[in-house]
Amino acid sequence: MSAPLHYVIIGSGSAGFAAATTLRRADDDCRITMITMDGLPFYNRYDLPQVFHGRHDWRDLLAVPPAFYDTMRIKLRRRSRVVDVDGSKQLVSLAHQETVHYDRLLVCAGGRGYLPENLIESARLMHGFGSFEAAMQLYRDLPKGGTAIMIGGDMVGIDLALTLLETGYHVSLITNAQTFWPHKITPDEQSVLLRALEAKGMTVFEDHRPVGVTRDNGGQPASRVILEDGSEIAGDVVMSFCGLTSSVEFMLGADVDIERGLLVDPELRTSNNTIWAAGDVCQIWHDTEKAYKFFHGWENVRVMGKLAARNMLGEHEIFDVNIEDRIEIDADGQLNSTFWVHR
Amino acid sequence: MMMAKTGTDIQIAICGSAGDGTIASGDIMKRAAAAMGFNVIAFDVYPPEIRGFGKCISRIRISTKQTYSLKQESDVLISLNDGHAIPHVGEVRDFGAVIYDDSLGSQVAEGGHISAHISPAQIPYGFGVRQISELATNSARSRNIVVLGYAAGLFNLPSDGFHEIIRSKFATKAQIVIDSNIKAFDAGLQVGQAVFKLDDVEVGSDSKETNGAEAVMMTGNGAVARGFMEAGIESYFGYPITPATSIMERLAVDMPPTGGKFLQTEDEISAIAATIGAGFTGSRAATATSGPGLALMAEMVGLGVMAEVPVVIAVSQRGGPSTGLPTKTEQSDLNLAVFGGSGDAQRIVLAPTNVEGCYRCAGMAFDIAETYQTPVILLIDLYLSNRYETVIPAKENTFAPKPRKKVSVKKGEAFKRFEMTENFISPRAVPGEAGLMHTATGLEHNELGRPNDAVHMDMSIKRHEKLKSAVHFPGLNVSKRFGDKGPVDVGILGWGSTFGEILETMYQAQAEGISCSAMKVVMLSPLPLQSLQEFFADCREILVPELNYEGQFANLICGALEKPVTRLSRATGTPMEVQEILAEVRRLSGQDPAQIQIAGAEGAQT
Repeated sequence: MSAPLHYVIIGSGSAGFAAATTLRRADDDCRITMITMDGLPFYNRYDLPQVFHGRHDWRDLLAVPPAFYDTMRIKLRRRSRVVDVDGSKQLVSLAHQETVHYDRLLVCAGGRGYLPENLIESARLMHGFGSFEAAMQLYRDLPKGGTAIMIGGDMVGIDLALTLLETGYHVSLITNAQTFWPHKITPDEQSVLLRALEAKGMTVFEDHRPVGVTRDNGGQPASRVILEDGSEIAGDVVMSFCGLTSSVEFMLGADVDIERGLLVDPELRTSNNTIWAAGDVCQIWHDTEKAYKFFHGWENVRVMGKLAARNMLGEHEIFDVNIEDRIEIDADGQLNSTFWVHR
Repeated sequence: MMMAKTGTDIQIAICGSAGDGTIASGDIMKRAAAAMGFNVIAFDVYPPEIRGFGKCISRIRISTKQTYSLKQESDVLISLNDGHAIPHVGEVRDFGAVIYDDSLGSQVAEGGHISAHISPAQIPYGFGVRQISELATNSARSRNIVVLGYAAGLFNLPSDGFHEIIRSKFATKAQIVIDSNIKAFDAGLQVGQAVFKLDDVEVGSDSKETNGAEAVMMTGNGAVARGFMEAGIESYFGYPITPATSIMERLAVDMPPTGGKFLQTEDEISAIAATIGAGFTGSRAATATSGPGLALMAEMVGLGVMAEVPVVIAVSQRGGPSTGLPTKTEQSDLNLAVFGGSGDAQRIVLAPTNVEGCYRCAGMAFDIAETYQTPVILLIDLYLSNRYETVIPAKENTFAPKPRKKVSVKKGEAFKRFEMTENFISPRAVPGEAGLMHTATGLEHNELGRPNDAVHMDMSIKRHEKLKSAVHFPGLNVSKRFGDKGPVDVGILGWGSTFGEILETMYQAQAEGISCSAMKVVMLSPLPLQSLQEFFADCREILVPELNYEGQFANLICGALEKPVTRLSRATGTPMEVQEILAEVRRLSGQDPAQIQIAGAEGAQT
């Protein structure tokens, strides 16, 4: 009798969680290990603005209770950073010098916030929003009624901005090419959307290029964004929401094709036949457009996780979702986006 | 979702290999917590092997409320050695913290790192312990201090208290050692303070009420030594044996400056012989040993009984028989302490139930021995010997020796050292007192001390009858009842170190609505029969938990009262667990399990 297969999943977000549960439901004997840098079990990051509505206990944000992992026999390795994947030996190396062998590997490490090159030196003066801890830190650092300066304004950022406006804060948005990312919109459409945001109380700065961030020592307000023309925008915290960069560095030795993300075929398999990828980390071959494309958004990512799992189990399903890419303002002046399935 | 708050009652377990500084870091943690005003109970488990082998665990319960034992679950586990700590990850409660090194020096296979074993409901805190130690002190040897600093930072404990304890702990070392340990602590502290706290382990800062004196952190053995010193011990003769040795070590330091005579003898037989010799001369004399040592001393204890010589023998039990489990706890020397030796040789046996009890019983033991002119055995065990608790010593020393009653004889009459008096306690003189010369012998003897077989029955009565009033010795709680008054469904009867767990169990049982009482018996010989009979009369069921296989205390009680009890006897070398006693109490209570309101169940529901 052969040993049960060991499925290793790098990442514990929507895609990874969907994949793990799909695997378990289809194969009662297999071993499933999820490896993540996160300190918490899976929670929906789209819910993070809820900290401004008073949800400060991370347990309230969990998708499932911790005991669910035990019930499903899913080994969850948190605070574990993958530093290397050896595709030929089928080994995952962790930063703390532990190696984990896999039979089949699914990479759904997602991405991290993209930061324009000219702002990289200012990164330490800016707040993140990619985790519960970062969200709570922002909540603690932003004084009641204070002003958050948002550079870019992708759809994750716009979601947060709307929550901040609803809860009595001010938001100053400095637009750039990533505003409303991942939606692809025309300048006219963007203008309409920005006016709608202004109607909600947001201050919008268009056609300004930030070149740095400074933080006053004891003075108010705490932070300023310096623009290319030498002028400044003042606020209490500064954040960048400029889309995502795929987290693929640890895959450089894995013998897989990488462009900006991991390149996968429509079955979500990489160029290594024991490795699949799903979610924001991968670019999927689009046969019509003859190009590898990212498919962002909660629903896309979840579907990818399930599909990758089924294909790892031996199916040959093709990622063929046709989720509408739409952002609009309804009759009540509310922004609606297909990116915000959760709202 | 309910938040399972823990208040300010947390237990930290530090686990490593011998040589990792596990016990040292636990010692600093417990002393710092005590200095901050918390109630502390702590217990160290270490291997019998030499440095570099075996597992060490230091468990420290820090609380703003009165506590009686360690908790079954820890709130925090700190790993200094994953190989040893991995089996203990399961003892950390849900939403508790596991602190570990994520910068190991060598490759490990899958599952070799502790992070692989942390459950989704526990909170992992990995950081570069080794790296930080090396950066701060150019050495990985300070890892144990780095993790302390990290824990202090994470749980917002003030660093000043730790600095002070570190300085005091390394006071005899070079300044560079103190400085590097403080650097290591501060480096860990800085990292811990910067971490976003995800666990729900809450440390408050409320200090406990004190009686104006400073609370002192001490072990059971330390408390025995302190009690001896306050009682004015004059002579100590001993031979080292685990787990009693630290009594001897403490006295070796403390006695000479006060003029006391301290001698390490060649074996236990010499130790007890010299102790009895000193006791005969009127010196406050004591020895300390463990079960195997007491077995060797048994014959001489009989001499003490026969010659009516007051001495004190501290006995710290460990797993037996023979060499047994030298570094594990057990309560299996009760029979030896109460009955050991030849003939009908009743002696007084005191079994304190906590560290404060060790201090008080040790302090009073000489008075009792001198009053009843007989050996007093102070029976503790490894769990109590090595357990740390905060103790508030008495403001005034009440243990100091009182002037001995002068003896006089009528001119022309011989001094009857073993005179048959109304209370069977004879006048006592010591060698050198004019006109009071007498013989002390192991042979049966008459009132003058001269060998005489014919008086054996009378003298046996005297030696037993004189002890009966010991159960009323002023200031000594020979037994005490806790919990519900009057008739109850379940009474838990305990002795020695196990009583802490019994008391915790009783309070939990009461919280569940079970009618329950607990009684501790401190004087095992003679037994406080009246209070035992009253307790038995009130309890529908009696449960006797103890750490031995044979149920020695249960046997003693059943023999004395001729009433049945339910035994919970366990010999695993580890302390009794509250949950296992509680399970028995629930069963004996006869309550419908569905009706029992299990404490904390609501809060634990998430």
